[in-house]
Amino acid sequence: MVRVTTVALVVAMAATTSAQWIKYPTPGIPRTADGKPNLSAPAPRQPDGKPDLSGIWITQSLYIGDLAKDLKDGAPMTPWAAELYKHRRDTLSKEDPTGWCVVGGVPRSTAVPYPFKILHTNGMVVILYEAVHSFRQIFTDGRPLPTDPNPQWFGYSIGKWDGNTFVVSSAGFNDNAWLDNNGHPGTESMKVTERFRRKDFGHMDVTVTIDDPKAYTKPWDVTMPLVLQADTEMIEYMCTENERDLRHLVGK
Amino acid sequence: MRASIKPTALLFAILFAAGAALSAQWLNYPTAGIPRTPDGKPNLNAPAPRTPDGKPQLAGLWRPNPGLVGDVTRSFKAGEVVPFQPWAETLYKQRRATNSKDDPTANCIVGGTPRSDFVGYPFKILQVPGMVVILYEAVHAYRQIFTDGRPFPVDPQPTWFGYSIGHWDGDALVVETIGFNDKGWIDNAGKPGTEKLKVTERFVRKDFGNMDIQVTIDDPKAYTKPWSVTQPLAFQPDTELLEYICNENNKYFDLVHDFGK
Repeated sequence: MVRVTTVALVVAMAATTSAQWIKYPTPGIPRTADGKPNLSAPAPRQPDGKPDLSGIWITQSLYIGDLAKDLKDGAPMTPWAAELYKHRRDTLSKEDPTGWCVVGGVPRSTAVPYPFKILHTNGMVVILYEAVHSFRQIFTDGRPLPTDPNPQWFGYSIGKWDGNTFVVSSAGFNDNAWLDNNGHPGTESMKVTERFRRKDFGHMDVTVTIDDPKAYTKPWDVTMPLVLQADTEMIEYMCTENERDLRHLVGK
Repeated sequence: MRASIKPTALLFAILFAAGAALSAQWLNYPTAGIPRTPDGKPNLNAPAPRTPDGKPQLAGLWRPNPGLVGDVTRSFKAGEVVPFQPWAETLYKQRRATNSKDDPTANCIVGGTPRSDFVGYPFKILQVPGMVVILYEAVHAYRQIFTDGRPFPVDPQPTWFGYSIGHWDGDALVVETIGFNDKGWIDNAGKPGTEKLKVTERFVRKDFGNMDIQVTIDDPKAYTKPWSVTQPLAFQPDTELLEYICNENNKYFDLVHDFGK
């Protein structure tokens, strides 16, 4: 019940702010005869022939509440993770770090109902997130994952192409991750693999695999559909400006 | 005035110390494709690189020279003063007298434009089709500068970073920004900016390792005439941005109770 309320609140806020969005036409995108963005056009390609993933995207399914909602038996949690998850549910997510305006990290920032912009640049793919006005670097210059990375909310990400799929491997997370609003935990042992497949101009799937032997008995995954957002722009999301929510998130 | 600056100076010292403590954890991955001297060290005096269209390449990790951090008027020539409007000077003096306790960045809000040019944290510049993007370590924020020829929006949403468009003037990238909210702090000392603020930044890369940003503040509501400062930047090779999550275990307000008045 509370989870549903939270989601409804977030969606309502998004609807309210949408009227203020900047409506500058996105240059260079395919359009139908009536000038509307043609989301069914073929996926564009980079000069090297790989799919061009750039653009503003947003998830269409609300996996943000429960990333494991499509799994028949839920996420395969180890006992301590199941206990922590139960605590987070029993206390109505009152310890959720995003309540303090900390970033959602990986993969939560992809699952939230806020848009993000993907950029291709030399040696990197960069994602600019509207949520909490944050960003993430994915190194594509062939470097390996560091052996002893600084624990971070976004982890350390490297990317490579597997055919037409952009495969991002991330490690180096801290021990306080919430993978979704319900609080599925992630630990310093977590590795996340994201497979981005742009199906056509307007649609992309990202399949996220969670491999965290401390929290889960085996790897598990979820596929989130993304839709391109044309003729709009991200707005400046300043989470702590006049922040009035935290004092109400008392849980129990 | 001097006495009231001191606690703030102490605060800056603490911030710098925090930066130094963190530096040991920075990633030391060698930056690919940069000029190096025979001993393998980055050659910061090499010529500025160029993009395929012949314009200077600004991309890379840069850090503002810390000389202006705190108060941008440190770059002023003798006799030069900030041309405050009376109300803006009153507000500035109030911010100084209260040791910046109302500073929005204490609440982990971004420094915005141009203050993010004047802090002691590195930022990474990206050049992508139609945009220059700046990734700021400070508060883990970013800024988009549209270079696709679009004009300013007629009625922009007031923001901390404003709405930025850029074009080339010879070898200088000229970034103009409007659409600010009424809460801006131009620098740590608290010179105000209003919704009338227009900021012009000229990015001039002098060689591989050095770039200047000439920043002009034009805000007729707060200042009687435009005024300018130049912020030198140093290229940061073989390192990387840290994840600066301001709100994680934020204890700042405990400090403010000690410093503020």
